[in-house]
Amino acid sequence: MATESPSSVRKVVIHLRATGGAPILKQSKFKIPVTDKFAKVIDFLRRQLHSDSLFVYVNSAFSPNPDESVNDLYTNFGFDGKLVVNYAFSMAWG
Amino acid sequence: MAANEEEAVKYVWEGAIPLQIHLHKSEVASHPAPPPALVLAPRIGYLPLLVPLIKPYFKDSLPPGEDSIWFDYKGFPLKWYIPTGVLFDLICAEPERPWNLTIHFRGYPSNVLIPCEGEDSVKWNFVNSLKEAAYIINGNCKNVMNMSQSDQEDLWTSVMNGDLESYTRLLPKLKMGNIEDEFSRKANLSSPQSRQGGTETDVAGQVKTARIPVRLYVRSVNKDFENLEDVPEIDTWDEISYLNRPVEFLREEGKCFTLRDAIESLLPEYSGDRAQTSGEEEADGSQETRGEVKLVRIQGIEVRLEIPFSWVVNNLMNPEFYLHISVLVKAPQR
Repeated sequence: MATESPSSVRKVVIHLRATGGAPILKQSKFKIPVTDKFAKVIDFLRRQLHSDSLFVYVNSAFSPNPDESVNDLYTNFGFDGKLVVNYAFSMAWG
Repeated sequence: MAANEEEAVKYVWEGAIPLQIHLHKSEVASHPAPPPALVLAPRIGYLPLLVPLIKPYFKDSLPPGEDSIWFDYKGFPLKWYIPTGVLFDLICAEPERPWNLTIHFRGYPSNVLIPCEGEDSVKWNFVNSLKEAAYIINGNCKNVMNMSQSDQEDLWTSVMNGDLESYTRLLPKLKMGNIEDEFSRKANLSSPQSRQGGTETDVAGQVKTARIPVRLYVRSVNKDFENLEDVPEIDTWDEISYLNRPVEFLREEGKCFTLRDAIESLLPEYSGDRAQTSGEEEADGSQETRGEVKLVRIQGIEVRLEIPFSWVVNNLMNPEFYLHISVLVKAPQR
């Protein structure tokens, strides 16, 4: 909850991995401010893949709540400035 | 688990909040309007799971259309994936019984709430929270993912039905371990258990790190208040900051890591002498005053901050292995 000016907000690199036959995106990574919610990542993928029925995971394991902050997800599950996000059109990990 | 701990866990599982549920007046299509529905909501449960109980009261009064069900408290939309007990602790500073909620069957506020498709969404949320917790505790969530579909289903059903016995029977399959507290540790010294990942015991058994998954909800209030009934009503979710962050601590011989230590590690800006539930007024004047933790509530209990954190975790966590802590703070004044 540090108060930082918008220009100095830390960013995390999201590494996108297609799974279960979903198409591989040209843009396989992007930077996102840690203050954003995970919903932003899901929205980005939905727009890129033109699909509303999308399953989005972290670390090939679980699907975080869209309300989670990128900062908390990175702190808990990321490393080296990156967070690995998998996407699929059907449930990949139950 | 010691006998007294089993008892505490039983209390948590049996905990419930009496709800008085009103149909929103814009959705009343019958005359007279239906009376409110009274239901008992399990603390560890979730609001959408109550719909099958509530809907029969209102189904004949609804206007035509498709259901998209959500709840509010005095106009404040409630997030369905937060356990009901946590919502109550967080939003009702002064507990209101019965808790008067409004149900809506139409007009889902998609700008505030993430979509919910009934029990399926709640189960999905539960299983994924459980995996996140396992990841934090063990460094991976293989044990949850390797659970058979039927075991996973049984685990969810046990939570949904508040069936602690079935839950306890399935628990060993998750291999979460639990952190030992001061009492059970002494009893267990003669029977060392194998542990995994983040809670590895070192060879000497002297020091070990525990990682505890915590969901912390911090509601900040600008004006000071004497009594809980003077806490202003909540308007938007912006007044609550939410942290999903593990508490890490070293288990050291002869040292006790308390709930206060845990809260201070999560909220360093509120730490120090003034971080107590009944702080004293700072000297008046133009001086900037620090924020102050006014109330810490877990499972409906105003917990004393001197309690060993390990006891709090083992006894008061929710079934998905997250400890949900509601904190009320007075925001720093400038």
